[in-house]
Formats: sequence, C-alpha cells, structure tokens
Amino acid sequence: MPRTLLVGSPNSGKSLLFNRLTGLSQKVANFPGITVDVGTGPLQAMPEMRLVDFPGTYSLQPISAEEQVAVDQFERALADPDVEQVLCVVDATRLEKSLYFTLQVIRDCQRNGKPVTVLANMIDVLDRHGLAFDADGLAAALHAPVLPISARTGRGVDAIVRQLRANAGAPAVGRELADSPDVILRGTAHQLAQRFSPRGDVLVKTQTALDSFFLHSVAGGVAFFVIMYLLFQSIFTWSAPMMDAVEGILGWLASLVVPLIGNDIARDFTADALFSGIGAFLVFVPQIFVLTFVIGLLEDSGYMARAALICHKPLRVFGLTGKSFIPMLSGVACAIPGIYAARAIDSPRKRLLTYMAIPLMPCSARLPVYTLLIAAFIPQGTALGGLVGWQGLAMFSVYFFGMLCALIVTGLVSRASEDHYSDLPFVLELPPYRVPGVMPIMRNSWNRAKHFVTKAGKIIFAVTVGIWILGYFPNYGADLGESWLGQLGHVVEPLFAPIGLDWRYGVAIFTSFLAREVFVGTLGTIFGIEGADEDMVPLVDHIQASGLPIGSGLALLVFFAIALMCVSTLAILARESRSVSLTLKMAGGYFLLAYLAALGVYNLAALFTG
Amino acid sequence: MTLTLWSLKAGDKCEILDYDDAIAEPYKVRLLEFGFHPGERVVCLQSPAFGAPKVYRVSNTIFSLDDEVAAHVRVKLDA
Repeated sequence: MPRTLLVGSPNSGKSLLFNRLTGLSQKVANFPGITVDVGTGPLQAMPEMRLVDFPGTYSLQPISAEEQVAVDQFERALADPDVEQVLCVVDATRLEKSLYFTLQVIRDCQRNGKPVTVLANMIDVLDRHGLAFDADGLAAALHAPVLPISARTGRGVDAIVRQLRANAGAPAVGRELADSPDVILRGTAHQLAQRFSPRGDVLVKTQTALDSFFLHSVAGGVAFFVIMYLLFQSIFTWSAPMMDAVEGILGWLASLVVPLIGNDIARDFTADALFSGIGAFLVFVPQIFVLTFVIGLLEDSGYMARAALICHKPLRVFGLTGKSFIPMLSGVACAIPGIYAARAIDSPRKRLLTYMAIPLMPCSARLPVYTLLIAAFIPQGTALGGLVGWQGLAMFSVYFFGMLCALIVTGLVSRASEDHYSDLPFVLELPPYRVPGVMPIMRNSWNRAKHFVTKAGKIIFAVTVGIWILGYFPNYGADLGESWLGQLGHVVEPLFAPIGLDWRYGVAIFTSFLAREVFVGTLGTIFGIEGADEDMVPLVDHIQASGLPIGSGLALLVFFAIALMCVSTLAILARESRSVSLTLKMAGGYFLLAYLAALGVYNLAALFTG
Repeated sequence: MTLTLWSLKAGDKCEILDYDDAIAEPYKVRLLEFGFHPGERVVCLQSPAFGAPKVYRVSNTIFSLDDEVAAHVRVKLDA
C-alpha cells in the first residue's frame, strides 16, 4: 500500500493532524516530544493511502544516539519505494523554530525523488490575532507547495487531500536544495524566518501573567505542591473505587466459573493462577488510566513544562532532569505508570536514570509488607510526649529510605558515566497555556491501559503460571512447604540464612516477585493462617512468637525497599526501554544491592541486640 | 565583564552576540535550531529563584534554559 510520511517539529500539532486525517487517536498533548512511536493509519479520504506519523524532531542533524536512530528511520523510509510523498508540518506562529528542519526535509526528499508538501499549521491562531501569512511567497522560496491549515479546526484539510492526490505518482519538485549542506540550510532558514514570520505578537498577555504566578518563587512553589498533591491523591483516591471494582468483578466471575469446573487441577488453576494471577496485574489498570489522564491534563494545559522547570535544579544534582519528577512521583503510587510517564523525557541518558530511580520509589505494593514487618518488629510506644510514634516513624523512615536510595543511585551512576556530549541540553519550549481537551486525553488513557494489558499481560501471565505450577505440584496444592516451590525454598535457604531467615521467608520472597504484597499472603499460607492479607494480626502474632530476631525484620524492610520484586514493572520496563538486557541488569543489580544492604542491617542490629 | 543570557534579570532585553568556546557543539547546534542566532533579540521573561532555569522569549517562542546552556551565550543588553 502506498504511504505518505508525516513529519514535523515537536509541538507543531502534527499528531492532532494525523488524528484528523486518519480518524485514529494517536496521543496529542501541549508538551514537546509526545510522539515517541511511529503511528500509522489509512487516510479517511484516501483509504488506499497509509499515513505514517513520525516522532517530532527539531532537525535531521542528530545530537544524540537516539535522535540518530530516528533520523536513520526517516532516511530509510524515504528510500522505500512504497513511500510516495511527504507532508511536513510547521507551526505558522513560530516559523523560526521549524524552517531549518523543513529545508532539510525538502532537500532529502529531492535527493530521493519524493514530492513534499509543507503544511503551515495553527493558521487559526494567526487569524485570531489578525496576522497575515504569505503562503505563496514561502512556497516560492522553499520550492515546495505550502498549505495554510489548522489541525484544530479542520481548515485546509480538503486542500491537503487534493494535494496528496495531485502528488500521487508525480515526480519530485526540482533539485534546488539537493546539494545544500546543513550549514547553508541553517542560514537560509534564518533568513526565511525573518522574511516570512508573522509580524506581530501571538503570545497573549495572559501567558506571561500565568507564568509570573506559576514560576513565582513563593506562589509558584505553593501552586506546584498543591497540584502535585492533587496528582498524588488522584492515583490513590480516584483509582481506589475502580481498583475495588476490578477485584469485585473478578471475584464475582470466579465465584460463577470455578464451581462449574469438575477437574480438581483445572479448578485450582482457574481459581489461583487465572483469576488471582490475572487479578494481580489487572488491578493496576485503573491506576494507569487515572494517572495517564491526570498527567494528560497537566501536559495539555501547558503546566507540565513549568513543573519540569521548577524541579530541574534540585534533580540535576542527582543526574536527573526536571522532567523526571512526575515519573518519580507517580512511582510512589506504582512504578508502572511512572515508567510510562518517563516517555516524555527527551534525553535518553536522563530517561535511563529515571528508569533506575522509579523502582526504588516506595510504591503502594510495598505498603502491606512494611505494615506487617513494622507491626511485628517495631514497638507501639511513643516518644516526645506522644508526638512521635515509633511505628509511624519507622514507616516514614522506610519510605524516605527508598527515595534517598533512588537519588543516591542516580547520582552515583550519573557521575560514574559522565558523558556530557551524548546528552541533550536543558532547552525546554514552554507551550502556551490552554484548556485541556478531555476526550483525546480519555482516549489516550484508555490506549495506555490497553497497551499495559496486551503487551505486559503475556509476560506477567507466563510468570504467574510458572510460579503457580511450582507451588502446586507435586502434591496438588496440599502443602506449599512440600511443593517444588517449598523445595526450592530449602535449596536457597543458605542464601537467606546469613540474615536470619529460613526457607519459609525465602519462598515468600520468591512469590513476592509476582507482586510485593503476595509476600504477606504466602507467609500466611505457610504458617497456616487463612486470610492473612486481609487481617494481619494473627500473622504478626505468629512471627513475634517464632522468635525471629529484630535484625531479620529490619533486614527484610531494607530488602523490600530496594529489591525490584515486581514482574509487572519488569515487563513494562523491558517494553518501554526496549532493552531486556537493561531490565535484567536492573533486576539483578537491585537484588544484589538489597541483599547486601539487608545483610549489613542484620549484622549492625546484631551488634546492638547481641 | 561579558554578559550572558544567564546573567539577565526578568524584564531585561538583549541582542545575542555569539557563543563562547566552552559550549558543547551539539548544544550550540540545538540553540541555533531554536532560533538563538547572533543578532537575534531575546527578552528574559522569568528569572525564578534558587537557580532554576530562566525563561526567555525569542521571536514568538518561549524557551527555558538552564545555566549549563545559557551561561555560554554572550549578549549585549539594550541601552
């Protein structure tokens, strides 16, 4: 099928145009660099033609390895005989930002014999400000047709379709630029921008006024904390009813289906691996949906870029960027939406460091583990006249410890691999403020949740089934201790013995790989306590009565604060980073770090308690 | 003393003179792509506290630059 490439600089409205031309729902937002994947779809008006939406880029002269990959991908596509022509979107209100890239695209199209059409988007904004745009003059200067359009209102879309039809099978336009080097094109772009940029002010005064508030030393700081508090609350509070609903529906379905199954093994598999296993990862879907929606609102409103600016300086000390803050904050609720949110970080190096930080943020799945261990090992007493409770202080400390570890790790790694020139500078375009478009954001949130279920679901399900088989056979679920998993626990007991833990804790740690909170339920099963994940008190009493030293309890707390024990996180990390190697290195590295830290804490505690 | 973009206060207007030799070439290339050309007029719109990146207007576009970048762009303040 013949294809048309759609290219443009970041935040030029390219994805919105793609959606308008194809009727699809590629993510759009008021934040540079949102398109990170190549999207394709047939044109609504020409179903025989596929439109290919490339990630936005400022030029075809890459300054990082990742940009090189994107440019190579574009060059390969241009050489493909199926690619008939190219549409290049520029922001008509900010021509100086787009023209260098446009000239490079025209040059490369001429070299490959492909016609190119320049689409001057956001013409509606110029109209609103009463500003003129000389499309014919620019077309003559560029040696390519220039169509004034508005992806937002739909103006000019018919003209695009007419031009696409006219270009189909047509030869490339001239060779005027084919031999021009980048340095010449940059100078030409600058001259053209000065000649054809709209003469007038399209930046409304309200934008400056809003920036004066949102970037103010005091008011801006207060606004930032209020907005981030609401974002954080949304992950917990707004998604909680949906998470309960997912659990409720799965429980209801299980109660209908499971009794109908006659075969014992099939029944146990359906109840424990299928419904419980699938439920363990489907429960993340509402959090992913809600967080993506709220982040979408922040991006589309224009605030996200300001938030990145506010956080940049303190995070830079640890090798991160201001754009790392939202993914890391999201990681406090759940690492998965945090990893998704890291897509918006344009610097590959800082995105990698953010990936490293997110799994160390104290996610909500750690909470049941912390609650159990703190209740079992930390006394209930208070200090300072009742102002400070020991258990509350322990919970705060372990949360803070996780965040501190994240910053220390990224700080050390960034200093150990100082490679300044492979990084991107912090030059962030601040988009105009605007009222967010709710429906596109809803569609994108739905797509993100669907991506999680369809892409990560297979890996998570495979691991779930594997662990179920190990725990069920050879005694058909009669006794977890006698299962293959129990036997494995005995085999690895020497690994955990140095921190005072026996095989039962080893098994619970293994099963917590499915999701950290499974640690609690598994310990309950091994100790013969039903419903330990609902009511922890009997399990707490049992652990206390077992005489497990406090050093082991503290070691477990530290272990769970660091170890990357979550198959869902690993699956998404592998998908998003496109690197299984990185994912395995992180899982192994954090396991080793967690183990060594636990060992240190256990021995330190032994010094004090004898 | 040479003034740079980083030394501007909110409300200052200037003209870009050139880039110093210490700036990494890829950074310079990216700034040129964004329109920070010698001779271009720039307005510093915001200079947030605690060393946070400053906000500049070039033509009809607003950018935020941190000191690693802005300190290498030499400017001449408007009289």
